[in-house]
Amino acid sequence: MHELSIAMQLVEQIVAIAEENRWPRVDEVELEAGALRQVIPEMMQMAFAEATDQTLAQGALLSIRDIPAKARCNQCTLEFEPEPDNFLCPECRVADVEVLEGNQIILKTVSCEAES
Amino acid sequence: MKVNVVKNVLQANDIVANKNRQTFKESQTLAINLISSPGSGKTTLLEKTIPALNPDSQSIVIVGDLQTTRDADRLSDKAYQVTQINTGLSCHLYANQIAESLGDLNFKEADFLFIENVGNLVCPGEFDLGENVKVVLLSIPEGDDKVAKYPTIFRVADLVLLTKIDLIDALDFDLQRVRDDLSKLNANVQLIEFSSHTGAGMEQWLDWLRIKQTESIGTQARFIKE
Ligand SMILES: Nc1nc2c(ncn2[C@@H]2O[C@H](COP(=O)(O)OP(=O)(O)OP(=O)(O)O)[C@@H](O)[C@H]2O)c(=O)[nH]1
Ligand SMILES: [Mg+2]
Ligand SMILES: [Zn+2]
Repeated sequence: MHELSIAMQLVEQIVAIAEENRWPRVDEVELEAGALRQVIPEMMQMAFAEATDQTLAQGALLSIRDIPAKARCNQCTLEFEPEPDNFLCPECRVADVEVLEGNQIILKTVSCEAES
Repeated sequence: MKVNVVKNVLQANDIVANKNRQTFKESQTLAINLISSPGSGKTTLLEKTIPALNPDSQSIVIVGDLQTTRDADRLSDKAYQVTQINTGLSCHLYANQIAESLGDLNFKEADFLFIENVGNLVCPGEFDLGENVKVVLLSIPEGDDKVAKYPTIFRVADLVLLTKIDLIDALDFDLQRVRDDLSKLNANVQLIEFSSHTGAGMEQWLDWLRIKQTESIGTQARFIKE
């Protein structure tokens, strides 16, 4: 349930933004989650609902965009999309990579439709 | 109104983790994050390892558990210093818990800081503590399919300790399967077959720790020099 820890950090950030802009509430939050971060969308939604409870962001819609993983082979420099359980380079058949994408959890946007 | 943020959600944790890493570097301490399922033998490993590293080097321990100070009590006479963190509901340690614990520990003298994370194969992998190395324990009774089932934590491990290897004959455990699954994730990860009961793999483990300690401080090994 690390989703709850992530959600709590997320809510802290969005509430700060809402307060800065003097919003009465938060309507939508866009999140990017890398495929390698083990964030399960349903768990994240539940955790978000729990973490926003009694805050300015209560009831906000959370949209989660999954960012595919990308790796570069250290032996032949080929870039490919690894699977969570398979980081073998399709050319070399060796798992020796630099992860380029898929590790991020990023708060992209926060919005409020109310007049401020 | 929409605000573009583009901010790492775990930034607060990562900033503290990086500070911890800097602190360890300055004090020439190797910080080891021990991760595994509950009961795989982390505390027993430390009970054997710390006396074996003495007297050449000093170790300190931070133990994370949801509840109780039992693990810290078990270790308190073996380690130079031990601190227990009770995480309550949290299934992993955070970097700031390590930073706060460091305030209570005389870590500047320590060559090794062992961090026994909360027993869990998923969540601890998601939170950087500022450690130098991640060691993942997999005990024989857990079964030979765990690398394939929990690939993420094994992919980011610097070392996999296959613990309770003394039980291998009693259980239907295919070592080759573990090696094959690991090689699909990370060709550079090392594996040591280990038993706290028989002492199998102990020398290899101690050597690995000493080498990593030397590498992390970037100079000659302090524990040999002194
Ligand atoms: N056969 C065998 N049993 C072991 C070995 N190492 C530990 N055990 C046993 O495994 C059980 C759990 O060991 P612990 O060291 O408490 O495990 P842990 O990972 O610290 O457990 P948590 O902190 O609760 O996650 C104990 O009963 C130990 O005696 C080993 O090498 N061989
Ligand atoms: Mg323990
Ligand atoms: Zn390649």
